[in-house]
Amino acid sequence: MKQRSHASLLAWGTLILVAGVLLPLAVRQYQLAILTEIIIFALFAVSYNLLLGYAGLLSFGHAMFFGTGAYTVAIVINHIPSLSFFGAVILSLSVTTITGLVVGSFLLRHKGTPFALLTLAFNALFYAIATKWHSITGGDDGLSIFRPDINIGFAQLSTSSIPAFYYITFIIIGLVMLFSWYFTRTAMGQTVLLMRENEERMKFLGYNTNVSRLILFVFTGFLAGLAGIFYALFFQFTSITAISIDMSTIVLLMVIIGGTGSFVGPIIGACVYIYLQDFLSDITDRWPFIMGLIFIFMILYVPKGLSGLIYSLIERLRGRRHLSRKVEIAE
Amino acid sequence: MQEPNDILQVRNVYKDFSGLKVLTGVDFKVKENEKHAVIGPNGAGKTTLFNIISGKYKPSSGSIIFKGEDISGRSPHVLTRMKVSRSFQITNVFQELNVLENVRAGVRCDHGLRYHFLKTPGSIAEVNKKTEEILTLVGLAEVKQTLARELSYGQQRALEIAVTLSTEPELILLDEPTAGMTREETGEAIKMIDKVTASKTLIIIEHDMDVVFSLADTVSVLHNGSILISGSPEQIRNDQRVKDAYLGEEGD
Repeated sequence: MKQRSHASLLAWGTLILVAGVLLPLAVRQYQLAILTEIIIFALFAVSYNLLLGYAGLLSFGHAMFFGTGAYTVAIVINHIPSLSFFGAVILSLSVTTITGLVVGSFLLRHKGTPFALLTLAFNALFYAIATKWHSITGGDDGLSIFRPDINIGFAQLSTSSIPAFYYITFIIIGLVMLFSWYFTRTAMGQTVLLMRENEERMKFLGYNTNVSRLILFVFTGFLAGLAGIFYALFFQFTSITAISIDMSTIVLLMVIIGGTGSFVGPIIGACVYIYLQDFLSDITDRWPFIMGLIFIFMILYVPKGLSGLIYSLIERLRGRRHLSRKVEIAE
Repeated sequence: MQEPNDILQVRNVYKDFSGLKVLTGVDFKVKENEKHAVIGPNGAGKTTLFNIISGKYKPSSGSIIFKGEDISGRSPHVLTRMKVSRSFQITNVFQELNVLENVRAGVRCDHGLRYHFLKTPGSIAEVNKKTEEILTLVGLAEVKQTLARELSYGQQRALEIAVTLSTEPELILLDEPTAGMTREETGEAIKMIDKVTASKTLIIIEHDMDVVFSLADTVSVLHNGSILISGSPEQIRNDQRVKDAYLGEEGD
């Protein structure tokens, strides 16, 4: 059983890698741009699901990290001339991480409704700052940026073309996503799961559960921040959308559509959301209305999300009766 | 008053919950390696006393001295790391995890695997070895891959004890470990408890008098929120006040 799952994991990994590398040769630029956007949002959704699915924490403020990443990268690129690509990314990630630490220290004692409301309040605060601090954030006008080139000693890589930026996104976010998956199997990842199962007992086993929650919160903020940084670099523009409560709702919807019960669920959710949005907005101006209807249908009739649906179909095909599938717990 | 071999002293502990006085001046001592039973009628405050010693509640007043240090009001995780561990009257484990993972959760905590971002829980041989040892000790080695919720009641209670032992405590508090067991299961459980708490200090809350008298060196009777008497099982058995307080209420 374990052998087979390792083999299938390897097969999937190879498939994704080959497809990811070869796709730019096969699809049009426009499709490639959509794919880049999907990868970025997939990371955002994965980070959100570490809170919602793995830790059982419902946040309405995940865009504060996404937006902080997006704004910081735009600000540092505009204000620090000759800042390198990775310099800008690392600097912005540091700022997002510190933001996570500060916000998280106010939230670490809370769960459930108080946690959800506090994250909402913090997101509103961040949004207000982005709108009002015009001299730095550009207010409603947003900030335009140029993507810096990547300098690797002997050569200069241009990031301006769509395929080039796609490859950079695919490699960096792909690696980070791989680490996020590994994280769910590490001691810290398992501590998060155990806390969701029985937080009281965890305290009596010597775990400081507030510290655990803070660490997780900072980590998910870091991941969301990276997604936000790439979002800004991709569009070469940061606007208040990136830090709005709408953005927090979008990631919540992606995760719900994909399903909170597995690691890949949010990735599927991000794919479906971005493609639907692209497809529907081509046909009609009233696309948000249709998407709204689809989401209501999903939540009512497919509560475990698309990944839950896929898993139960596979299990049914294999003739098994255990349809319920929780977030996996590694052996 | 402090004798060198007292591992725990409970000094004049009071606890009230918004006016309801549950503990009204509890005093007792536990020597190192002692098997100490706390008995008393329902509602006497036994579990509240455990909750205070293990850090779940703060005492309203009074103090808890563990190894010469005042630990009253410290958090459970701090006390666990000081090697105090407790079990729960109602099984309180990780129901969706298997037996091995339940026990390993406690073992790995003390081996740098609390918040590790790179190592997996099973990556340290020492942790796996200790986990196996505990499982063998409580007799759950055969079912280590079974989910906790799929265990029989007796096995669940054994797992509760295994999880309590997983932090390698020096002071073990067991809250009615045999609650709800049949006679036969109780007998087995007592043998097991006796074995696993060898060379450790044990405080046990128990209703079953057979258990108390076969296991304990010292018995304290908690009645109406304070200790009526502490003494050897013999003394307790023959004490008139205990008969009045205890048997008077439950022995009808």
